[in-house]
Amino acid sequence: MKTALELIILLPFLGAIVNILLGRALPRRMVELTACAVVWGSFIAALSAAVSYSTPTVVYAGSWLSSFNLSAPFSLYIDPLSLSLCLMITFVCGLIHLYSIGYMADDPCYVRFFALLNLFVGAMLVLVLAENLPLLYLGWEGVGFCSYALIGFWYKEAKNATAGRKAFIVTRIGDVGLAIAIVWMFQHFGTLSITQLNQSGLQAPTEVVTAMGFLLLLGAMGKSAQAPLMVWLPDAMAGPTPVSAQIHAATMVTAGVYLLMRMFPLIGHSPDVAAAIAVTGAFTAFYGATCALVERDLKRILAFSTISQIGYMTLAVGCGAITAATFHLIVHAFFKALLFLAAGCVITAMHHEQDIFRMGGLRRTLPATFWPFLAGALCLAGIPPTGGFFSKDGILAAAWEQGGMLYSTLYAVGLITAFLTAIYSFRMMFIVFGDRLSSKEEHHPAVTNVPAIMTFMLIPLAILGLIGGLLNIPANLGNGLLDSFLAALNAEGSHLKSITELALQGTASLVALGGVFTAWLRYGGKRRQECISRAEQEPSPLVGFLRAGWYFDRLYRFLFIRPFEWLSAILWERVDEGVIDDNLDRMATLLGRTGQLLGGLGNGRVSAYLLSMAAGAALIIAWFAWVMP
Amino acid sequence: MIVPFTHLLVLASILFSLGLICVLVWRSNIIMLLIGIEIMLNAAMLLFVAGSNHWGMADGQVFALMIMAMTSAEVSLALAMVVYLHRRKRTVNVDEFSELKD
Repeated sequence: MKTALELIILLPFLGAIVNILLGRALPRRMVELTACAVVWGSFIAALSAAVSYSTPTVVYAGSWLSSFNLSAPFSLYIDPLSLSLCLMITFVCGLIHLYSIGYMADDPCYVRFFALLNLFVGAMLVLVLAENLPLLYLGWEGVGFCSYALIGFWYKEAKNATAGRKAFIVTRIGDVGLAIAIVWMFQHFGTLSITQLNQSGLQAPTEVVTAMGFLLLLGAMGKSAQAPLMVWLPDAMAGPTPVSAQIHAATMVTAGVYLLMRMFPLIGHSPDVAAAIAVTGAFTAFYGATCALVERDLKRILAFSTISQIGYMTLAVGCGAITAATFHLIVHAFFKALLFLAAGCVITAMHHEQDIFRMGGLRRTLPATFWPFLAGALCLAGIPPTGGFFSKDGILAAAWEQGGMLYSTLYAVGLITAFLTAIYSFRMMFIVFGDRLSSKEEHHPAVTNVPAIMTFMLIPLAILGLIGGLLNIPANLGNGLLDSFLAALNAEGSHLKSITELALQGTASLVALGGVFTAWLRYGGKRRQECISRAEQEPSPLVGFLRAGWYFDRLYRFLFIRPFEWLSAILWERVDEGVIDDNLDRMATLLGRTGQLLGGLGNGRVSAYLLSMAAGAALIIAWFAWVMP
Repeated sequence: MIVPFTHLLVLASILFSLGLICVLVWRSNIIMLLIGIEIMLNAAMLLFVAGSNHWGMADGQVFALMIMAMTSAEVSLALAMVVYLHRRKRTVNVDEFSELKD
């Protein structure tokens, strides 16, 4: 068990180190092989850990930080939550690595790419398996750094580098909250071990737990792109598509949700925190869905849908339904990786065209991409009986189960969001893959061939996304595998009545099918063309509002960036140049003048030197005569 | 007959002042400058001998001997330089030699 756990983490790091140090000397195939082999090796290690798993265990792998009563060793914690996430991460990342071989086939910087990709996986696995908060923070910052480096991978274009920096800085705001929470927890509980912290929730006053919970929520908001720190995720599309897939599906944005799930036994003691988490999640889910409705860029649609789906997971955590959150996290990882990888195929085929209104007719030209993409869209829309339907239904049921004014409202918001989700998923389907009707579009370049390895990777993901529901069948239809596996994590074990659950499932499926139907009414068949020609006109205010992401970017520019620029302009022009530089300049001029003045005395006349020497000696003697009578 | 210590002090002071004035005033001739320095050194030497006599210690006389030795060396070197300088500029005016400034 210990070896398996250590291998899970060490293999990706080994791959990264080999590629960093020797990558340039190795042939291309070797680099790709190393990068993929270590991740799959890690997956095998995770599998063997799963096979031999019996009870939650803490594995001590070595000492790290230790002084006085502070200790944060390299100890790993394996429990159902971390185990299922490890399996999902290594599997999905393994597929993404294989896909990257095809996607990055023409890129000269493949060594850097694969090294960073491996490092990314390693950092995420450290985060997931960490038993204490400093180790978790190490992985947390590791994924932050890797996402920065990979989003800005094509850094020669200023836009991409800016997107990388934006992701880094916005998530940093959340990281501050997490760092404060870690220090505070140590100060209050005297330990940093996650298992011990989770048992000590009752020792602290509720207000303290509430405050800590809000700090952790801030950290999760940054990492998981929850409102109000979600602005970085749509811009993160500047990176290569496999990176987007990895960030969205497996490694980066789920970290925040994971943190909340991990610490829920502690912060769940405060109902305020749980409500805040749920509200954040529901609002973000709604926000992401509305923005995705009008977006034109294929990858940005998927980015907004990620924001929305992560919002669902956060909502589930806020409802105390850790199983539902984990379930949705895993299923979402499958179908979001699938959608991104399929989008990567589409984009490659369309010569890096990302505007969906310039696509069309791809159903016939790219059948190998169309069918997996359809599966992904079905999952995203939550059409029964795909995995996406069951996981989303689990979350909505959890919100319903909580009852009360607040959670009922959140349930309604979740339901509306599910409707919007179905609309935008199928809007995307109809516009990208629907048949072209007019001859006007014929001037578009023909699609190019997509490497077989890229389309092949879509198949396992599509299958997993479609049958993912089997992992956790709702109680009224059978027994959930994940449910019993994760039973220990849930806040309370009460279950809804079978009839209520059936009604909820019926509502959810009706809403999803209604959404698809609405999308067909608006975008299907001939109406697709009208919609495209309408898009050329000036957008209506509402569409403009949604397309600009509710003007959040502009708001932040106004609230934070402008004052910051203004302050830095003052500090630069007035304080730095005006006060510090000017004073130094003046002092230098003064010294120069004095030097010239004194230099005039050195006129080279020996007699003058002699006279001044005699005068100086006389002065010194006079001084001595004065002070020493 | 013992000359009083104060007399010697006065004489040494007068000698030193004369030497100093010679150095400061007679700038048209570098040899006069050297002579002024000699006179000042002699004044100092006289003072050493007087002090040695007054306090009954031999150190002052030793110093006087050392100053004599040093002076002879210095004068020989300085006069050689004077000859060299005169050969270069055809003058012995102190203020003509101002290359140090540049």
